[in-house]
Amino acid sequence: MIVLLLIGFAFVAIWELPALVRNRWWREIILFMVLWSAGFMLSVMISLGITLPPISTIINKAVTGMFGW
Amino acid sequence: MFLEKGRISNFQLSVLIIGFVLGSSVIISPGGEGAGHDAWIACALGLMEGLLIAWIFTALTKLFKDKTLIEINSLVYGKILGNGISLLFIGYLFHLSALVLTNYGQFFKLQIYPATPKTLSLLLLMLVCASTVNRGIEVLARCSLILVPIIILVVFTDTLLLIPHIDLNNLMPVLDAPIGKLLLASHGAASFPFAETVAFLMVLAFVDKPEKGPAAVSRGLLIAGFILIMAVARNVAVLGQMAEITNYPTYLVAQVIDIGDILTRLHVLVAISLITMGFIKISVLFYGTVLGLAQVFNLRSYRPIILPVGILMVILALTNVGNTQEMFDFVNKGYPIYAIPFQIGIPLITLVVAKLRRLPQKGELDA
Repeated sequence: MIVLLLIGFAFVAIWELPALVRNRWWREIILFMVLWSAGFMLSVMISLGITLPPISTIINKAVTGMFGW
Repeated sequence: MFLEKGRISNFQLSVLIIGFVLGSSVIISPGGEGAGHDAWIACALGLMEGLLIAWIFTALTKLFKDKTLIEINSLVYGKILGNGISLLFIGYLFHLSALVLTNYGQFFKLQIYPATPKTLSLLLLMLVCASTVNRGIEVLARCSLILVPIIILVVFTDTLLLIPHIDLNNLMPVLDAPIGKLLLASHGAASFPFAETVAFLMVLAFVDKPEKGPAAVSRGLLIAGFILIMAVARNVAVLGQMAEITNYPTYLVAQVIDIGDILTRLHVLVAISLITMGFIKISVLFYGTVLGLAQVFNLRSYRPIILPVGILMVILALTNVGNTQEMFDFVNKGYPIYAIPFQIGIPLITLVVAKLRRLPQKGELDA
């Protein structure tokens, strides 16, 4: 699974980065790398079986708790 | 430098809005929770609230022609506070698109492809949406011109074929639900899906005749609202009390269709409706998210961040909720309150502040 992830993420980087580097679009490269790294780390965590917090469920509990529903 | 060079007509905007509103509502009946057999009334009241909210945000775009909400925020609140508010709004668009993806994933896992990994179906849909977003708002609008009429035809055909199964007694007595519950359900119907058109604050800047934008938005909302009210009333008339307790009433209703043992299993058309309208809704939200991020971070193009944002969207869709029941709990209880700051708060406060500060001043709109 990790190998598949590595291939997928490497493909995305190879698809986008060369043109950005050639044009020296540094702001675009920085934002791309931040989002790409976050996606990669979270994907690895999911593939390792780590449960990420369910955001909508947390929001739901907070809202319903606030209004006592 | 303009991040989007495409322009769409007011007619295309209306059709895009119809597709957006039908989105996942085409299988989940809005206003179903709490209102019982008065769900169609809740839906109609929700449409009115949605129109009111649309009036607020279109007033904002009338004031600031050719500007997206991100640019309007920068002008009204200044660069730092404006970008902070914009990031909150972008977060909402991103979360909403992931929520529609979750919806789609849960439906497919439960009803259509139980053996297919959810990740795969979500990834495929995300890639189609990413490809459309990459080609810009014009392509998305043209897609909606082809897809939306087909789906409207499907909804009307389903309704016609269901006439023999309709029992109008299931809709009686009218206005039986307690007024408090009815109003809560109507607000639920307003927040999902009518007021979600607030996402078009990222699209209205690219309409070729901006002065007619508000009318196009209202027209789209009214047509989509009429279709949804009809679908909700039909579901209740066919299913009775089952309509309230089932998660996918439209899908269940379509399974009832049986014309002489020849026209059966038409529920697959409902699944197709979800895929196509879901595609339009996710694409609009996806487009708003990447365009917004590009404007906040002053990028020269939003295209490089489409794929990473799409991947994060799929991750959020996979981890958004623990199970299907939690998703419906969120949609019916938490979401109508959670969405208020984004659907009403940000546009209304921005409009009031802009009026108080007498914005836009001369020359600001050309900047």
